[in-house]
Amino acid sequence: MKKYDVMVIGSGFAGMAAALFAAKRGLSVVQTGATGGIDFSTGFVDLLAVHPIAEQKVWEDPFAALAALRRDLPEHPYCRVSDGEICQALEEFTSFLGENGLCYRGREGKNTLTLTAAGTMKPTYLLPCTAWNGVEAWEAKAKTLIVDFHGLKGLSARQIAQVRSDWPELETARIHFPGMRGELYPEHMAWSMADPARREELAKTVAPLATDALYVGFPAILGMTDTAAVLRHMEELLGRRVFEIPTLPPTIAGPRLRAAFDRGLPLLGVRTCTQKLITRATIGDDGFHFTAGSGSTSIEIAASSAILASGRFFGKGLKADRQSIHESVFDLPVTQPKDRSLWHRPGFFDPRGHEVNQAGLETDNFLRPLDATGQPFHPRLYAAGAILAHQDWMRMKCGAGLAIATAYKAVNSLSA
Amino acid sequence: MDFFSIGLALACVSAACGIVWRVWKWHARGKALAGSSALRPFSLAMGGLTDLFLLRRTWRLGALRWSGHMLLVLGFLPLVFLHAMDGVITRPLFAEYEPTLDPWQFLRNFFGLVSLSGLSFLLLNRVKKLRALSLLQDWALLATLGALIVSGFFLESLKIMSEGDFTRMADDYFPEAEGEELLALKTYWAAENGVRFSVILPTTPELMERGTELHEDRCAGCHSPTSSAFVSRSLPLPSAMAGQGRGVFWHLHVGLAFLGLALLPWGKFFHPVATSLNLLARGGSQSSRSGASPLPRGLGLDACTRCGQCSLHCSVAPIHRVIGNADILPMDKLSDLRRYLDGRLSPVRASLLTEGSHICTECLRCTEVCSAGIDLQELWMASKQALAKAGRAGVDGEIRKSTASEWARELSSQHLGSVGISGAGLADRAESFWGCVQCTTCTGVCPVVAVSEDPSRDLDLTPQQIMNLLRMGLKKQTLGARMVWSCTTCYKCQEHCPQGVPVADILYELRQLGAEVLRKKEGRE
Repeated sequence: MKKYDVMVIGSGFAGMAAALFAAKRGLSVVQTGATGGIDFSTGFVDLLAVHPIAEQKVWEDPFAALAALRRDLPEHPYCRVSDGEICQALEEFTSFLGENGLCYRGREGKNTLTLTAAGTMKPTYLLPCTAWNGVEAWEAKAKTLIVDFHGLKGLSARQIAQVRSDWPELETARIHFPGMRGELYPEHMAWSMADPARREELAKTVAPLATDALYVGFPAILGMTDTAAVLRHMEELLGRRVFEIPTLPPTIAGPRLRAAFDRGLPLLGVRTCTQKLITRATIGDDGFHFTAGSGSTSIEIAASSAILASGRFFGKGLKADRQSIHESVFDLPVTQPKDRSLWHRPGFFDPRGHEVNQAGLETDNFLRPLDATGQPFHPRLYAAGAILAHQDWMRMKCGAGLAIATAYKAVNSLSA
Repeated sequence: MDFFSIGLALACVSAACGIVWRVWKWHARGKALAGSSALRPFSLAMGGLTDLFLLRRTWRLGALRWSGHMLLVLGFLPLVFLHAMDGVITRPLFAEYEPTLDPWQFLRNFFGLVSLSGLSFLLLNRVKKLRALSLLQDWALLATLGALIVSGFFLESLKIMSEGDFTRMADDYFPEAEGEELLALKTYWAAENGVRFSVILPTTPELMERGTELHEDRCAGCHSPTSSAFVSRSLPLPSAMAGQGRGVFWHLHVGLAFLGLALLPWGKFFHPVATSLNLLARGGSQSSRSGASPLPRGLGLDACTRCGQCSLHCSVAPIHRVIGNADILPMDKLSDLRRYLDGRLSPVRASLLTEGSHICTECLRCTEVCSAGIDLQELWMASKQALAKAGRAGVDGEIRKSTASEWARELSSQHLGSVGISGAGLADRAESFWGCVQCTTCTGVCPVVAVSEDPSRDLDLTPQQIMNLLRMGLKKQTLGARMVWSCTTCYKCQEHCPQGVPVADILYELRQLGAEVLRKKEGRE
């Protein structure tokens, strides 16, 4: 059996990034993981925007926020990575996406406010180029038309206009998406936009409504693998600048990210075993042995090192039963509240968040998970992403950045 | 054989070969000149003839059956034409023909042996590979032919040893024989030709010499030595059989020949005629041509040799093993289709035929392997339409006759039962849906939903809506939803589900349940 240098467990942001970084460093990589969090991504790459969460303090400069975070929360996984490492990680990650058809854009050292499906402005660090015109439109409060579709549940233009009372020049229109009726689903719409004729039909419907608008915003359905070309074509057809707003999850951003990795990682020599969770893991003197999947389609994998990027609950890296939380591959000790009654605060929307959302693995400075005695569980086992303890990425708006930066750190540690 | 007949035969062979060569050149030259389709009728004819004479389609499926069939044809046809029909064919053609002269006597034994070895190959093939698929008519045809040939050997053997026959012949052709001469002749015939006389004969060399002379003079003109009837002569039959046995076996042999002739138009006995014509009509084609005209369709329906290859190669044969409906397998389906078209199929059997027709995936395999060259694919397409026109639309069609809510109403008073060995199907188990967060991923990736312009109009419910109803225990509301019946089981939904809900398996299970509901309705359970 072939023995890989690195086994990456997980195929969310952290797993994808770890596989990418390891392959780029010339290591032989095998990756497993089921559809998970990445399919529910907005497509935005958050670095850090809110700290401390109890105060809901929003930062324009994520690096200033990082400095404050490292001072206040010494156990947060961001304390294991330097600003330089974060910047290099994001650079390597987004340039790979760019090579695979997903262009990213942001402002150096600054968070950017971007429009959400609910009409709120979300601070994020890097955003898909297809959303960038929306940023400029909002910042200039320019005359803009936001279009939504009969039957598409994930986005209401009227709601956005109501929430954005600070944007008086915002107009809305609800139209029928050409060629489809009834309930609409973003993936079907995005695939159908691969046909230039469909774009022309859509533009023909929108053009009379746009009148003197300078920008036209659409729910994110502008193509699947060729978003830049679709956007450009729509701009030509409408004679206006066009942008996308992510719909409610699952948005099209997830499948786009997954498609980019599905195209790019095998070209770098990564063996990807999609839709397979680890069902058995053993550790020998020479490394790791895994069984991925079950039944007739299960496969055996041997690797000298492993990166655990299996996520928290939705990614199935952590499993909760009625008493406690377990790590699902190696049964590593999980930092968690003492008692189930302490998992959640009484108020669901309590600004401080819930203790259970800080649960996860303890690591050393090289991101190696610790065993019950506080020593590294295995000299060549690393952890990255949401499975790490002491972070609430959702409320801190640091999910993708934390995943990518810790994956970078883990890969550098194991290849050093 | 004289100069005339040898010369004529050689000339005919030369002319036939020459004509075949010239026709082949027409085809080859025409093709080289005008592209492949210019002389298609010739290539069709050649294809058909190759299939017919070389049994090309049978060859593709294995040497045993081909060898058996080839030996049987090469042995049996000469027996039919030269032996059974000697009065109308052999005697007029060959002036010196006598059944007891060589080469005829020898050839009869030779062809009989060839046929018998062919038959035993075919029997071996059927016992080894086709026993489960065989019916009475399959065994009957083998048995009739085998008995016919064996009884022929017995008859000839008994004739050879018969004292009565000797006496009759001697009375007819040597009436003036004196006692001593007859004794000499008997001595010769007993020793050389195996006649068994009831009295013990002296065997002095003088008597033998005299007998040989008399035989040459009186008998040899019509009798070759019986040793050339090498099979019949060597059968170790007891002398006691010679008296009565000869008459019995004559009736048996001729009776079996009459039986074969009488049965020729019935069942498998007709396949030498219908299959040959079908092979010629199909012109070597292995693919399917849609929209055949009535005559070739009718011929195809009749051309089955019941060789079982289609059923052995059927893509959906595993389903037959599970649910046991014989009409899933092409061979049985074809015979039930004939019965259905004749109006001889009971309603329950007709619903089995409908079910079998709809389990077929039209994969073309049966058409490709059919050694009779039947365009089965075309028959299945046409019969499915004909059944649907007659109100038998299959499970899918029957379900679609009512709306999802009509089905829900109809099923509301019924106990649906459950699917699966454990007694509880996936759709009934709460665990199946524990992970479902109604995220719509299954619907988003579904190609069936994608091709629909309006899913709620075309499909009633989307996959994630079905999962939602099921987890609320509303199974009866989902059974008639057209999404369930339009699913292509591509498994994208199941593969993309972030929570491991077995969406495609559940949809498939609902279809099984629907099929069961209909089976009950049609009184088949």
